[in-house]
Amino acid sequence: MSNENIVLSKDMWEKVDTSLLQSDVIARPSMTYWQDAWRRLKQNKLSMIGLITVIILTSLAVFGPMLSAFEYSDQDLSMSGLPPRFDYYQVGDKQIYLHKEYRLYEVENGEFIQALPKTKEDMMKRQRVYDVDGTPVVVDYSFAAKARKSGDPNAKKFELRVGEEVLQPVGKSFNKTFWFGTDALGRDLYVRVLFGARISLTVALVATVVQFFIGVLYGGVSGYLGGRADNIMMRIVDIIATIPLLLYVILLMVVFGSGLKTIIIAIGSVYWVRMARLVRGQVLSIKEQEYVMAAQTLGASTWRIMVRHLIPNAMGPIIVSLAMTIPNAIFTESFLSFIGLGVSAPMASWGTLASDALGGLRTYAYQLFYPSLFISLTVLAFNFLGDGLRDALDPRLRK
Amino acid sequence: MARYTLRRVVSMLITLWFVVTITFFLMHSIPGGPFDLNEKALPPQVLEALNEKYHLNDPLYKQYFDYLKGVATFELGPSFSRPGITVNQLIEQGFPVSARLGGLAALVVIGVGVPVGIISALKQNQWQDYVVTIFATLGVAVPGFVLGTLIVYVFSARLDMLPAYGLDTWKHYIGPVVTLSGFSLAFVSRLTRSSLLEVMQQDYIRTARAKGLPELTVIFKHALKNSLIPVITYMGPMIAAIMTGSFVTEKIFAVPGMGRHFVESVGNRDYTVLLGTTIFYAAFAIFMIFLVDIAYGLIDPRIKLGD
Amino acid sequence: MSQKILDVKNMKTSFYTHVGEVQAVRGVSFSLKKGEALGIVGESGSGKSVTSMSVMQLLQYPGKVKEGEIMFKGDDILKKSKKDMMNIRGDEIAMIFQDPMTSLNPVYKIGDQIMEAIIRHQGLSKAEAREKAIDMLRLVGIPSPEERVDNYPHEFSGGMRQRAMIAIALSCEPDLLIADEPTTALDVTIQAQILELLKELSEKIDTSIILITHDLGVVADVCDRICVMYGGLIMEEGTAEEIFYEPMHPYTMGLLKSIPRMDEESEDQRLIPIPGSPPDMIKPPVGCPFAARCPYTMKVCMEKMPEYSVTETGHRAVCWLNHKDAPEVQVDTGVKRGVK
Repeated sequence: MSNENIVLSKDMWEKVDTSLLQSDVIARPSMTYWQDAWRRLKQNKLSMIGLITVIILTSLAVFGPMLSAFEYSDQDLSMSGLPPRFDYYQVGDKQIYLHKEYRLYEVENGEFIQALPKTKEDMMKRQRVYDVDGTPVVVDYSFAAKARKSGDPNAKKFELRVGEEVLQPVGKSFNKTFWFGTDALGRDLYVRVLFGARISLTVALVATVVQFFIGVLYGGVSGYLGGRADNIMMRIVDIIATIPLLLYVILLMVVFGSGLKTIIIAIGSVYWVRMARLVRGQVLSIKEQEYVMAAQTLGASTWRIMVRHLIPNAMGPIIVSLAMTIPNAIFTESFLSFIGLGVSAPMASWGTLASDALGGLRTYAYQLFYPSLFISLTVLAFNFLGDGLRDALDPRLRK
Repeated sequence: MARYTLRRVVSMLITLWFVVTITFFLMHSIPGGPFDLNEKALPPQVLEALNEKYHLNDPLYKQYFDYLKGVATFELGPSFSRPGITVNQLIEQGFPVSARLGGLAALVVIGVGVPVGIISALKQNQWQDYVVTIFATLGVAVPGFVLGTLIVYVFSARLDMLPAYGLDTWKHYIGPVVTLSGFSLAFVSRLTRSSLLEVMQQDYIRTARAKGLPELTVIFKHALKNSLIPVITYMGPMIAAIMTGSFVTEKIFAVPGMGRHFVESVGNRDYTVLLGTTIFYAAFAIFMIFLVDIAYGLIDPRIKLGD
Repeated sequence: MSQKILDVKNMKTSFYTHVGEVQAVRGVSFSLKKGEALGIVGESGSGKSVTSMSVMQLLQYPGKVKEGEIMFKGDDILKKSKKDMMNIRGDEIAMIFQDPMTSLNPVYKIGDQIMEAIIRHQGLSKAEAREKAIDMLRLVGIPSPEERVDNYPHEFSGGMRQRAMIAIALSCEPDLLIADEPTTALDVTIQAQILELLKELSEKIDTSIILITHDLGVVADVCDRICVMYGGLIMEEGTAEEIFYEPMHPYTMGLLKSIPRMDEESEDQRLIPIPGSPPDMIKPPVGCPFAARCPYTMKVCMEKMPEYSVTETGHRAVCWLNHKDAPEVQVDTGVKRGVK
């Protein structure tokens, strides 16, 4: 391979001024740290899904209950245990729904009109007769006992008869009166679930804020003081961190009584340890960097410099920590509610709804479905968002 | 290593003392006494006699020291809501049951979680990885009581494959153990996966390959030991999680363990039981974390020799 | 006449990423004789590390050697099975890396890590391997090797760790040792020691060396021949003397101007850095890769890749300036004639 055999045209040997090429090509618009982080977050699809879900949930929590005709505490015992989707039968020109407890309701296009009056109850033969607009309809539930004994979950439990004719369901419909169904006291679950969203999200948010303040205060002071005070304060933190903290949330609830305020304070005041450690670490690293500068600026307030530099630098990890604390708080609140320490009735949080649903699980599974779904979705959404935030705010990944 | 161990022991003892003290003073700041919440209002003379019997009229510091003495000698007092039964008895009866369940759950977490995490890491971005990641992501988002009730609903009520409550046959163990291990299992498999992936990027793995070692050796000898370090660190919090998970699990599956006693004592406001079981739980967790720390020190030579 | 131990012919290596094909090495040829020390010099991104990883077949997904031959002791490495390659690695070709802090496994003893290679390739028993490991530690100059062999990496200093790496690499007496930036992470004084050690050992054990670095100063003493790489290609190749005193490529000259020289008379040295930054390897330039930063660029340089011009001694460079039709240009070679 030698140069000698190639002949080139004369103009190829002209000199080219390369200094023009040296200027940094593609001057990219310079972005601030936050703009860059937002850009990176947007690229992460999962996190955006999380973010959008959180926004939707929050809007639902705020505005959702207004869309329903019911209040979260409105009870109507005659309307208890109605599912969000049901089979209905046709009798004449009326549609009826058979309740799991063998009561009949008049329905129309998915709307629940009324509970039908019972005309006869025969305990021996295990039958009831209802009056559907003049036509007597027999609900024969004598099969139920046998079905239960057989252990077969699909055995026939009842028969619905008009005269000799056994009725079959003519269709399925969504419950248009109670979108999520009703609970054991006839309360509309849609309103209660969304109200629960308000409670659960509020608890999570405020508890997180409380944790934040306690943590920032403690960690900030510890880092700022440094030396022995810092050592002792961190030792205390280490000790607290080894204790299973949930026990103490429970104890606090027992001592101070259950209720919304107590839950918030209990969760907030027990889990601040992580935030404290985080803030202290940040303060220490800032202190180290700024120490030299502070010494050189001849007495310009170290405090001022630190605060001014602390906020932008530490905000990243703090925001990530907050985003991950919220699902934790939701978990904790629902756990507390589940063992009976939640908000007091008739207020509803997702945890209390799930706990209430437990008793009727076999027959009214839907009562557990929506609260569980919402808890899981919310926690997932915050987890995705938190993961994305962590990557987006990591200064080392900045391009 | 000896110095490290000693420091951990001292730390543990201080924490235990802390726990007992805080718990004690918390319990005693409850307005009213343990007998005020009984449904039947007791005549004042009876109330007075009970208070005397249980030393509730003694000055607080005396009660505190008596209690400290009691804790040190493992004597935790009588149950208030169930006369005749002591807290010790409740613990003795309930703890083995809970421990058995918890131990099984812990075994499942490690025995299934770690291998699954390894497979997921080695088959990164292939279908095995996706399946594991999806389950793991769900597993950390779904609360324990949802999982437990789901199991009861699907497998007991609908499919009738599993018994719904009690602990008589081996089948009875499946539901509670799965529920207890659920969250930690998901967490450990994710942790193992990300840890192994990170370790595989390290320079010393490149060195191992450059030595001509077969890939299996590189993974299982060089990578694994390093990647298990964060997993071991998680063992402490895992034990705490299983412990608190037992409250919910034992309630759902009607298991006669300590968790249930604890939850019941919360409802009954049975203070000695609450006090005693809280301290027991806390002490147990702290001790377990101490053991984990020691194990960690044995594996990581930087701690074994350093300091 | 010593035979060639390594002969790389027109090797091309690319990384097939989701943003495109990164052509890290675009056609590199060089050879190495037994007992020789070859230096490969270049900036980060020039492709020098990828070249060595390709020779060792240590490229991880998504990297692949897409063309060329790598003849090692007469056989093409690219045609070898994975199993054969594993046998070669550590035994016939060994490699040491840049950062000794992270290149050693923190949870295993140093001795175990040396013994691993010995046991694997030479089939010695554990006791024999341990003896050999101690010998190797002594050879690389680690004091009290009988005790040190049971230490963990974190108990060694940086320089000692790199010596341990060398011990691992040389434990099976390889024919070829590739040292990828072995001194970059070390203090300057330790640097000199390690280089000295490499030179000494390669003579003693008769191992050929490829020394990869971005620092011309490092190769000056140790290497017989030097390749200068840029943009995935070799710009110039020659003996150490030729490169330092008769450079034929503007990039080499630029490098020489930007390092402080001890062998100069004049008191006021100016360090002149090369302006600009390395080319994009996803869309590599069609002409000479250095054209954008070269002070003598001609139109032809931007459009066509030059071919090699070779002198009788085997000194070659790829630059249009050396073409017979090229105009006479006053070139600042970066060499100040002083004491030779």
